Amino acid sequence: MIKVHNLHKSFGEIQVLNGIDEHIEKGEVVVVIGPSGSGKSTFLRCLNLLEEPTEGEVYLDDVQINAPKADINTIRAKMGMVFQHFNLFPHLTVLENITLAPVKLKKMTKEEAVAKAKELLNVVGLPDKADAYPSQLSGGQKQRIAIVRALAMDPEVILFDEPTSALDPEMVGEVLDVMKDLAKAGMTMVVVTHEMGFAREVGTRLLFMDEGVIIESGNPREVLENPQNERTQSFLSKVL
Amino acid sequence: MDFNTWFEGIKNTFLRCFVAEERYMLLLEGIGVTIKVALLAIALGLVIGFLIALCNLSKSKPLNIIGKIYTDVIRGTPSVTQLMIIYFVVFASVSLEKWIIASFAFAINSGAYVSEIIRAGILSIDKGQTEAGRSLGLNAKQTMFSIVVPQAVKNIFPALCNEFITLIKETAIVGYVGLMDIQKAGDFIKSATYEAFMPLIATAIVYFVLIKILTVTLGKLEARLRKSDMR
Repeated sequence: MIKVHNLHKSFGEIQVLNGIDEHIEKGEVVVVIGPSGSGKSTFLRCLNLLEEPTEGEVYLDDVQINAPKADINTIRAKMGMVFQHFNLFPHLTVLENITLAPVKLKKMTKEEAVAKAKELLNVVGLPDKADAYPSQLSGGQKQRIAIVRALAMDPEVILFDEPTSALDPEMVGEVLDVMKDLAKAGMTMVVVTHEMGFAREVGTRLLFMDEGVIIESGNPREVLENPQNERTQSFLSKVL
Repeated sequence: MDFNTWFEGIKNTFLRCFVAEERYMLLLEGIGVTIKVALLAIALGLVIGFLIALCNLSKSKPLNIIGKIYTDVIRGTPSVTQLMIIYFVVFASVSLEKWIIASFAFAINSGAYVSEIIRAGILSIDKGQTEAGRSLGLNAKQTMFSIVVPQAVKNIFPALCNEFITLIKETAIVGYVGLMDIQKAGDFIKSATYEAFMPLIATAIVYFVLIKILTVTLGKLEARLRKSDMR
């Protein structure tokens, strides 16, 4: 579903990604871990071109998305994204946050979008927050709304950029639960996170990144319990 | 001099200044002119300001240069000079009503200041907002107009109000191109009656009341804009 070939990204002089080749299949829950500065967020952001790769190709369903002629907006509509800092639109209500894109992009009528939004709000346990503004919500609630906002577009894959890193500890669980349910429902997910428990329990594959390359990849349990690479071992010994 | 003669004197001056020869009409008509010129200038100034702000924020070098030159030239020259150049040079051979040409001059002037306010407002919105919009598949324009601009407007509202107030007061120079606004009316009464105090104080009061009405109205509007901030 997502294919990445020889991906490089540099910011000026600083080389962040040093040649990544990766293939993500439909239905996979790929968890990306690694020390800070290893390029995991940049890798994720290259997948929907929030960062423009300096070299290499990214494909979604065999269409090269970083080709000059690619219709990036149509492609992004198929790839949801959930951010560390939620990035809800503060001037809109929860319902408007969720329905804005589907209605603007003529994916649904207003009525359909509202019905879908309410259904999704139910699923994440926030049916009574439709008319609230983001400033009235807790961090965990904001992130659940952000997930709903991404889901409202019926994406083929959702990219999660450290979705629980900005949350108070007691709110991490409620967001991870929503993500677990999504994974069980068969959603393709790419998750950059520090939640090793989530990686072990929900991930179908774990990628360990360091210095802009993927160093180790495999079944999360196996990698976490029996890392092969020295750098993976040293990183895991510090975080586990 | 007792109180009665003093009061009688004041009353006579007042009558001579404003009632005799229906001179209050001069002031009333002046208010009309000031409001007309200011309103059109505010509206056009907002449009110009927004366009120049987009030029300055754009990635295109030529647009940047246009925006930069515009703001530089306007901010670097007095508004009276600009008004007279627009009126006597640029629009010299165009048959438009005087007040409309004057409005153009003030709009061109105000646009430069408004553009800086709008630019700062747009830059003040977190990059994550744009990223969230784009990640949903909205294009740059849709993201700008449904996500960034509404939030920016709220942030820059007080600064824009200041600019509007400055602009209204700035229109007091339209007498230079022969328009009878509030200031010119007061000045005219002063010359006609050889009284300085009353006409000039009246001029000040009229401006003050106009601007007070504007600030109260804008204050109410701002409170409504802030609705989504309430907890």
